[in-house]
Amino acid sequence: MGNTNPPAKRRTRASLSIKILTVFSVATLALGACGSGAQTTGNASGPVSTEPVQGGTFVYAEVAPINNWQTQAARFYEKSNVLNSVLDRLTYFDTESGKLVGWIASEFSASKDQTEFTFTIRDGVTFSDGTPLDAKAVKENLDALGLGIKDAQVAPNVDFASYKSAKVVGKNQVKVALKAPDANFLRATSSVTAGLVSPATLKLDNAGQSAIAKIVGSGPFVFESEKTDEEVTFAKRADYKWAPETAPNQGAAYLDKLVVKYLPEVAHRAGAVQTGQVDLVRGLQPVDEQALKGSGDQVLPAQGVDLTTNMAAVRISNGKLADAKVRQALQVGIDRQSIKDTVLSDSYVIADSVLNHAAPGFIDLSADLAYNPEKSKALLDEAGWVVGADGVREKDGKKLELTITSSNNSVVIKPAFELIEQQWREIGVKLINRAADNTFLATAMIDKNIEFFGTRQFAYGGLGPVFGPANNTQTLNADTELNALFAKERAATSEAEHKELVAEEQRQLVTEKALSLVLWDEVQVYGGNSDAHVEFTSGTAPIFQGAWKTGE
Amino acid sequence: MSIKLDEPLTRFAVQDTVQVVDTIEVDEVAAPKKKAGALRSPAFWLTCAPLAMVLGWALFPTLFSGFDPISGVPAQKFQAPGAEHWFGTDHLGRDVFARVVHGTSQTLLTAGLAVSIGLVVGTGLGLLAATAGRAADAVTMRLIDVLLAVPGFLVSLIIVTAFAPGPISLGIGVGIASIASFARVVRSEVLRVRSLDYVEAAFMNGGTYWSVVFKHILPNSCGPVLALLAVDLGVAILAISGLGFLGFGSPPPTPEWGLLIAEGRQYLASAWWLTTLPGLVIVAVVILLAGLGRQLHKIFRF
Amino acid sequence: MAAYIARRIGQALLVIWLAYTLVFLAVQLLPNDPVTIFLSADAAADPATIAAMKAQYGYDQPLIVQYFSQLAGLFTGDFGYSLASGQPVAERIGAVVGSTLVLASSAFVTAVVFAVGLVASATLARKTWLKRLVINLPPLFAAVPVFWLGLVLLQLLSIQLGIMSLFPDGSFASIAVPVLVLAIHVSAPIAQVLLKSVDNVHAQPFVDVLRAKGASPSWIFFRHTLKNAAAPAMTISGITVGTLLAGSVITETVFARSGLGQVVLQSVTAQDVALVQGLVLLTATAFVVVNLVVDLLYPLLDPRILKSGTHGAPRALVA
Repeated sequence: MGNTNPPAKRRTRASLSIKILTVFSVATLALGACGSGAQTTGNASGPVSTEPVQGGTFVYAEVAPINNWQTQAARFYEKSNVLNSVLDRLTYFDTESGKLVGWIASEFSASKDQTEFTFTIRDGVTFSDGTPLDAKAVKENLDALGLGIKDAQVAPNVDFASYKSAKVVGKNQVKVALKAPDANFLRATSSVTAGLVSPATLKLDNAGQSAIAKIVGSGPFVFESEKTDEEVTFAKRADYKWAPETAPNQGAAYLDKLVVKYLPEVAHRAGAVQTGQVDLVRGLQPVDEQALKGSGDQVLPAQGVDLTTNMAAVRISNGKLADAKVRQALQVGIDRQSIKDTVLSDSYVIADSVLNHAAPGFIDLSADLAYNPEKSKALLDEAGWVVGADGVREKDGKKLELTITSSNNSVVIKPAFELIEQQWREIGVKLINRAADNTFLATAMIDKNIEFFGTRQFAYGGLGPVFGPANNTQTLNADTELNALFAKERAATSEAEHKELVAEEQRQLVTEKALSLVLWDEVQVYGGNSDAHVEFTSGTAPIFQGAWKTGE
Repeated sequence: MSIKLDEPLTRFAVQDTVQVVDTIEVDEVAAPKKKAGALRSPAFWLTCAPLAMVLGWALFPTLFSGFDPISGVPAQKFQAPGAEHWFGTDHLGRDVFARVVHGTSQTLLTAGLAVSIGLVVGTGLGLLAATAGRAADAVTMRLIDVLLAVPGFLVSLIIVTAFAPGPISLGIGVGIASIASFARVVRSEVLRVRSLDYVEAAFMNGGTYWSVVFKHILPNSCGPVLALLAVDLGVAILAISGLGFLGFGSPPPTPEWGLLIAEGRQYLASAWWLTTLPGLVIVAVVILLAGLGRQLHKIFRF
Repeated sequence: MAAYIARRIGQALLVIWLAYTLVFLAVQLLPNDPVTIFLSADAAADPATIAAMKAQYGYDQPLIVQYFSQLAGLFTGDFGYSLASGQPVAERIGAVVGSTLVLASSAFVTAVVFAVGLVASATLARKTWLKRLVINLPPLFAAVPVFWLGLVLLQLLSIQLGIMSLFPDGSFASIAVPVLVLAIHVSAPIAQVLLKSVDNVHAQPFVDVLRAKGASPSWIFFRHTLKNAAAPAMTISGITVGTLLAGSVITETVFARSGLGQVVLQSVTAQDVALVQGLVLLTATAFVVVNLVVDLLYPLLDPRILKSGTHGAPRALVA
């Protein structure tokens, strides 16, 4: 069926195919160009500290869109990083001094036995809907945090597990009573999951409390508009004047607007900052740090002082890891230095405990964490796991095949476990790496048959809330010995005693029971444009209230 | 790419091409001559030779690459392609070419499973529709419409979520979506063959339903089905890589092709070879399979 | 004709209902329930809370009751609630469906233009090498992974050249590039079918007659060939549209666009049953409606079809 028709109007049609070809050749060229990584945006010098500049719109890119903004569910960075600038809290943890300072509570105190706490509420604070943030509003918020909100299916905040009741005393004081002593209670009021919302917000149903458009806070930024799954815009609150005691900026935010966008593709994050399309991006991957520094932009590691180290939390319920020896073998079967050298960067610090180096009460357990595959093998042999024909150890017909689950929002966790998978292969342990698979996580997080949960959790003082409750997502198990220790620690009446007990918790979790295979200190590496000036909270959230941009 | 969305497209393209061509050419084609011609054509062998090599990768991967596909040398991470590492190395210092070669078998098995499901179930449905009377035809065709109306990739996602992602769940998830196209090709082919004189003759000579179906109808309908098989294999490979992109791929360290490009994309800006070179292998194989489909179609056309 | 249309509409409704039911059953395969997942964000939720929420959303009912009450809800316009976002399903989908529609329909139109352009240049090209090249483009288009093409284009256009935004900012480029990426892929099968049918038309005697009369090749192509070759391509297009909607998932993910893609991924990840069901209803409806339209347009293109066409559109080809 040959059709030989040499037409006159050929040229116009031919040009189309040429266009198509161009697209392809350009695409091919692009790859070559990508390889060189040449990029010259921004100036070569770092940010110069000068006087903050007023005004401007700050574009911040998070890693994933958020649909549920309920404040107590803000244990994920993509929520807490934004809510940090929308909601205020009673207290604030100052990273520099390592101390808890006043915020909405101008003063706070604890009874000697750590069961009664008194907060003096600052005068003149209002929510953005005009209602006052007074003692009554604080009480209602504390009730919601401590008891949950039944009608809206909001569960109590795990950090407030010992909460009993609160009452308004006098004009501006709130007195909180606990069921049991809790030395960490004050610190928990600084948690980003303890943001204070307007009483009207607390009355909404679950959907209402989850919608950013309906959440009313007293923070420096107020919701303005939203494009579903694409961006949320906040405007500054001009009359804001109740920043934490130690904040350099005591007034309203310098920026006029804050735009939160989403950049799920890891590969584009560095480029987005370099081209100035965003001022700040979270989730910069180690391999892009050098390029960003090279173009004069900023690599900003935000240390997670409020968080545990990154770890594989161990679930023992299915029996494979019931023997502490096996867990200890895995603990020393991880070559942390190799992880840092291969998949991390200088922004990361190898973990020496389950608490990070800057956390109050940290103790150095590095001696127990040194890489020692021979010791691993010996421990596994002792525990009765013998190497099978395929190189994987087995005992009673069961293979030592272990599964890890984690969220995909950490850019380094999956490669890290790929490397650990290689390292554990040497000692006869098979790791099924389901890290960074969010769909799997949805089920696996609460599945006792999944041996590891790769995570880091907010920990305000002791580790009880993280590892204590029977339904904690780390171990999915209540260890009676540990819980006795946690209770003792919470009831500590002196700072020295508390510190010693927190140290013991770390020894138990890392060395003795080895329920937490620790990896590296939590750090969120942000990429900042050369013009951006921003600092971070102890929970790694950007402080937009104090952020500003160098003018043109 | 392609998640299911495109699959039906490509499949239909083939199918309808087949139909259009057949309805017109049935009377005029001198089959034996064409068959021999196609087998002799250099294009056929140019298509088959590289595909045979890929098959070699799947069967004897160690012959083609001496590197370990799942254990890397951390110190050699992110090396650009060169004489030692043809496709460079990845973020853990693993040889990318070794991963491509060793990933072939799993890729072909997964995609092969998907295609087999499409083939077996689709053929059954198509045969039923074409030979078991009007009522069966109507019911089967509605079923096929349903399979088309539910986005195939949504079905894949549900199946991969319901069972751990692995060769079997991925194969089934992707395979279900290809049932419809096989069913339609088989149905139209069988209808065509059935109306041919010698099939009528076979029936009149006392052949039972099944004997005629298996002796005459199926063998004579297999050309376009084989052609679709080849094309569909390529489409399934792409569909699996699309699922990998969306985060529904096999867990590491499996060096599955789709996963290689899906995961390498993270390093697009700093290590282009990680996603590009395995990607080119996929593109080449998909194009070759499409070519093979065309050749097979020519060879088997009666 | 009226009877034919009535039958086709009946079939369409049947297909939607079957699709809905099938997916309802498939969703039950999922390993967990949406309420537990939703409530277990930071601690495994306590059973009482889970039970309370299940009761509120009706997930505690027996399957068969859930099925029929959901089905009944459909007739009153109640599509249920998405747990993950707390919104009514209709609202959640409604908020983003426009974005997907724009992307999918522009991509479809572009793909058709592309395909016709390709086929025209292949048919009318004078140089054999050019013709060969163009003929081989559709298989190439079909073989390039869409997400890869999209990512490379973004890397090039946005980061290296700085001429488009990484985000959907409403500019022309931020819609044109995703449309192009999707269109390139969608155009491949349409072009392939069109190429084949153009060849077939050209083999028919009437074309020779036209040629003998001195008609120019391009005049023949655009006035006669295209019209006669359109039917098979239209069938493909009809099937394309239904799946095109769903296929925007990858493009939307690559270009960080809101749309059904995000909703699909979120709904499956969170096992948000009501949302999945809503999506299926939407795509199945889109599919049958478009194909119904294609069916009804068919006789206009080729009057022979109605006479023999006892089956739906795609099968008309067999006749």
